[in-house]
Amino acid sequence: MQKRGAFAATLLSTFLLSGAAQAEYSAGDELKVLQGFKAGGGSDALAQLTQPFLRESLGIEFVNEYLPGATGGIAWTRLAKQSPNDGSVISITNTPMLMTNYIMNDAINYSIDELTPIANVVTDPGIIVVPEDSPYQTVEDFFAAAEERPGQITVGNSGVGGDDFFSTIMIEKATGLTFQKVPFQGDGPSATAAMGGKIDASFNNLGNVYGHIQSGSLRPLAVFTRERLEVLPELPTLVEKDIDVVAGSSRGYSAPAGIPEEARQELIAAFEGLKDNEEFQRTAQERAMNLDILTGDDYGQMMQDMEVQFAAIWDEIKDEVNE
Amino acid sequence: MENLVLVGLTNVITFTNIALILGGTLLGLFVGAMPGLSATMALALLLPLTFGMDPATGLSMLASLYVGASYGGSIAAILLRTPGTPSAAATVLDGFPLSQQGQAGKALGISLFASFVGGLLSGIALLTAAPLLGVLVLKFGPVELFAIAVLGITIIGSLSQGSVVSGLLSGALGLLVSTVGMDLITGTPRMTFGNINLFSGIEFTVALIGLFSIPQALVLIENAHGSQKVASKITDRLMPRLAEIRRLLPNIFRSGGIGIVTGLIPGTGGDTASWFAYNEAKRFARDKSRFGKGDIAGVAAPEAANNAVVGGALIPTIALGIPGSSSTAILLGALMVQGILPGPNLLTDYGDVTYTLIWAVIFANVGLLLVGLLFTRLCVSVTKVPDSFVACAIITLCVIGAFAINNSLFEVGLMLGFGLFGYWMNKAGVSPAPMVIGLILGPVMETSFQQSMLIGQGSLGIFLTSPIAVVLLCIAAFSVLQATPLFRWLRGALRARTQAQ
Repeated sequence: MQKRGAFAATLLSTFLLSGAAQAEYSAGDELKVLQGFKAGGGSDALAQLTQPFLRESLGIEFVNEYLPGATGGIAWTRLAKQSPNDGSVISITNTPMLMTNYIMNDAINYSIDELTPIANVVTDPGIIVVPEDSPYQTVEDFFAAAEERPGQITVGNSGVGGDDFFSTIMIEKATGLTFQKVPFQGDGPSATAAMGGKIDASFNNLGNVYGHIQSGSLRPLAVFTRERLEVLPELPTLVEKDIDVVAGSSRGYSAPAGIPEEARQELIAAFEGLKDNEEFQRTAQERAMNLDILTGDDYGQMMQDMEVQFAAIWDEIKDEVNE
Repeated sequence: MENLVLVGLTNVITFTNIALILGGTLLGLFVGAMPGLSATMALALLLPLTFGMDPATGLSMLASLYVGASYGGSIAAILLRTPGTPSAAATVLDGFPLSQQGQAGKALGISLFASFVGGLLSGIALLTAAPLLGVLVLKFGPVELFAIAVLGITIIGSLSQGSVVSGLLSGALGLLVSTVGMDLITGTPRMTFGNINLFSGIEFTVALIGLFSIPQALVLIENAHGSQKVASKITDRLMPRLAEIRRLLPNIFRSGGIGIVTGLIPGTGGDTASWFAYNEAKRFARDKSRFGKGDIAGVAAPEAANNAVVGGALIPTIALGIPGSSSTAILLGALMVQGILPGPNLLTDYGDVTYTLIWAVIFANVGLLLVGLLFTRLCVSVTKVPDSFVACAIITLCVIGAFAINNSLFEVGLMLGFGLFGYWMNKAGVSPAPMVIGLILGPVMETSFQQSMLIGQGSLGIFLTSPIAVVLLCIAAFSVLQATPLFRWLRGALRARTQAQ
């Protein structure tokens, strides 16, 4: 049933994108993509954004296989432990979930050393939003309130182990403040709770709340990027407030460790090609996806940095969380 | 505003769109009727197909599929005692006994009619009161959601026909099973025995298929060579009688209202609404003894409610850009692909597309009545197939359905395990219905309780700060008291006093 959906999708993209010159992918004419989440979710959105374009440049068919469960852990265990490393299987890898999964749970035992990072494609930056009638107009107001009432300002996140959970802790460490962290089942419920004033703030991701920010039902206080955002130029970054926190939720592609070098280079080249594909950029913008293409070793470095950072954080706080 | 409503209407009324609405409804009926295949799944699979269509066409097809699936679930529930969708679980209680009494056609007709009216009501609510009702959604936070879950749990009491103890046992088992998986607050895996497949908990649909469908298949095989089938002598009509409809209308309107409100609240959907509606239908009924033995009111209530959820769940989606259910989350995804960002401006800036969606829902309900009549007439012929074949077909569908949920064989094994347990429950005379309620509401109750405790800094007083929660909790307390001897004694005492006066 789901393969049929994938088939329908590829069939459709055939109609949309036919007639282009096709290169050959050395590891076969079919590439299986393991997805750790249900069809129709954020990973699927990435697949539907990139795969029609890659299909053209690599000259292959993509077959999506959905293996939801354990916040992606089932698919990534399958990728690292049980998939052929001949370049015929890749997976959509979500960071930091990919690492926090095994950092936090002993029963999940793959690691990024068992993967070949191919490319990161999108990063949805972290953002602090408050209800429209919130007393906090600026991020300074918000931090001042947290200083006055330590541990009492309620802050929603998308769930333990998610990027918002960790960025809250990173901010706590950087500022010395403490918040009351309230986990929700995903970014959506966390944003809804903030809109209804059930929590004081939600640490969320730009893509999920941009519509609400535009209509004024949520007010952004700060974004966790290096530079200010083009779409919200008024919004300060935490970095310019001397809080060195840059975080977000990223999605990209990885293969099992030890795939043939030729196949790896071809895949990387295909993703590099997306960087200056104007049609791709436009499509991504239309779908409110923030491109952050980082290929090969750069993506690998990004994963390793995250692993070190999150392992250290978790080590420090796990006893407190498990109290 | 007026203009946009009309623009939406004219967008829908084209030959292609009407054809796609009928096709989508038919596909929805089919998906709904298959245990394990859900509307959400079908929507996710069809989504890429709509990328190339114009927004009105794509949305019409997706919305009609959603509507169709909400009714489709009742077909298998009534004919085979296997709910095709989680929201049809409550329909089994009275639908299947009717089918056993040779009144499958009548039960399906009532279900179709109730679905139609429920769906239409919610479509009208969507068209007229979406911005008004949408604001209500934001009033429901973790504290209020906890109160709703507690109220829902009290339904277990009223479902326990015969032995209250076995009903409570079944409900408690459901709650227990629902705790399997990662703890939301600490991320600690509980009762997973180190098995990664259990980390995200037991998929509710897997348990549902196992508990209802497998025991039914086994019972059919047991009796295959024994008694004559009653259902094979269907002579009853599909179209309900006018007098019956008139009698059911208050029930359908009430259930539709319950469905709209339950759909509105993110975190609760058709599965919860159908039980609430069933419970209220029973509470308001003059003769409660017929419930569970084949009362048409027990079919009409859950079906009106679960179709009303469609419109209800779309209200926060279009008024605020917050999906009210997993299916509407995918519809929202369809809007995003068309370049429409979710948010409160859906009704204004993108009004033409949004009103198209609303009209599509209304038309899909009319389409449902037409397509449903034909499709259902076909389905009824299932009852002419010998029992042993039906049993094999049920088991095959269950295996496919359980596999399709996560594309994994683990779920198939789990489903069969639940099946054997359900068979044992069946033999022991323990109803699986309270267990299903425990499974649906357990995670909602636990999560919202933990969140409330965090928000309230660990004080139970937080539940008293919300008027909505207080009212709901009082109703829950009243429902529990109503079932105790204390209440009967009180009523007896009061009556004695009034008589004395």
